[in-house]
Amino acid sequence: MPMKGRFPIRRTLEYLQKGEVVFKNSVKIMTVNYNTQGELSEGARKFVFFNVPQIQYKNPWVQIMMFKNMTPSPFIRFYLDDGQQVLVDTEGKDYREITQHIKKIMGKTPEVLQAEALAKMVASNPANFGPKKYCLKECMCEVEGQVPCPGVVPLPKEMTGKWRAQMRAAED
Amino acid sequence: MFQVATRFPNPLCRFLTPRASVLVEAVRGRKSRTDPKAKSKAGRVKVPPPVDPVEMVVLKERFTQYDLITRALRFEFKEEMLRQRYEQEVGSLAEERAKQEAEEHCALMAWNDAENLQLWKLRELRVLKGLEEEELKKTELAIQREMKMESFVKEKEQEILQLQEEAKTFITLENLDQRIEEALDNLKNYNFAIDKEGRVVKRTVLQ
Repeated sequence: MPMKGRFPIRRTLEYLQKGEVVFKNSVKIMTVNYNTQGELSEGARKFVFFNVPQIQYKNPWVQIMMFKNMTPSPFIRFYLDDGQQVLVDTEGKDYREITQHIKKIMGKTPEVLQAEALAKMVASNPANFGPKKYCLKECMCEVEGQVPCPGVVPLPKEMTGKWRAQMRAAED
Repeated sequence: MFQVATRFPNPLCRFLTPRASVLVEAVRGRKSRTDPKAKSKAGRVKVPPPVDPVEMVVLKERFTQYDLITRALRFEFKEEMLRQRYEQEVGSLAEERAKQEAEEHCALMAWNDAENLQLWKLRELRVLKGLEEEELKKTELAIQREMKMESFVKEKEQEILQLQEEAKTFITLENLDQRIEEALDNLKNYNFAIDKEGRVVKRTVLQ
């Protein structure tokens, strides 16, 4: 697969999964206004270039829109589900500062993220057997080191109920 | 439970099925509907398995009890799950959590506003500086323009003075005769060479 674009690392899964910002459930739309020229917009431009893919990967249900050269100064605007709009001025800021700022205001805290991960783990218990859609294994015969499926490999005679019944009958 | 029975006209169906999957059990309906019954099965009358009435009664009762218990258990578990979910979303803890979140949100918004205010102040300073610089530039340009005008006027005055001085040596109608006689008296020889710097070359003999 050839490398496409100026910084093809932005297209790798590893880079995207390293994104830090996970928005709260109330954030629905994020809008970034920035300019293509000018020293003051440099931070916003870098933010759009490097960090927005990470944010979108972590928040697939948030709509993100970019507007270029519409206003003299760059800013980011969040639209929440209760109609509130949050404005973040990014003039003269570094792209790392912008990310940290957004993470502080609109991002989920590490405790919340941990709690969510725990809940997810509880829901997907590897000890459950069932359809492939919900569980890892359907039957114990699929686990390594266990008795294989009698539908594929016939059981040894001693394990069959038929033989056991015969032995019991012969004893009686 | 059972896989969907596939019908192959070929008796080699067992070799065609892939190894990894479960072996297809005795395929129901190896014969098509038009095939006649086998001779050994011509007079066969299918009889259902015999049922012991006493055993049947006992089993039925046991089954109803078992069914009751398992349905009750299932219902209990379902109810527990629903109650947990309800408490999570609409319980008292949830309200407290919502209140806390709202408070935190307010605090964060206030902090964000403070940051925006700081940036606004910086921007104001920058804009003022920009305006001042512009004014300075304007004044400087005006001064330069004035200076240029002055120097231009001075040059023109100089030229006028020079012209006035040269006008004294002009040939007019009054001193025309006098100048002609002077010119005829003083013959000038222009037959000389000059080098690139404009100096007269002295080596050659003037004719």
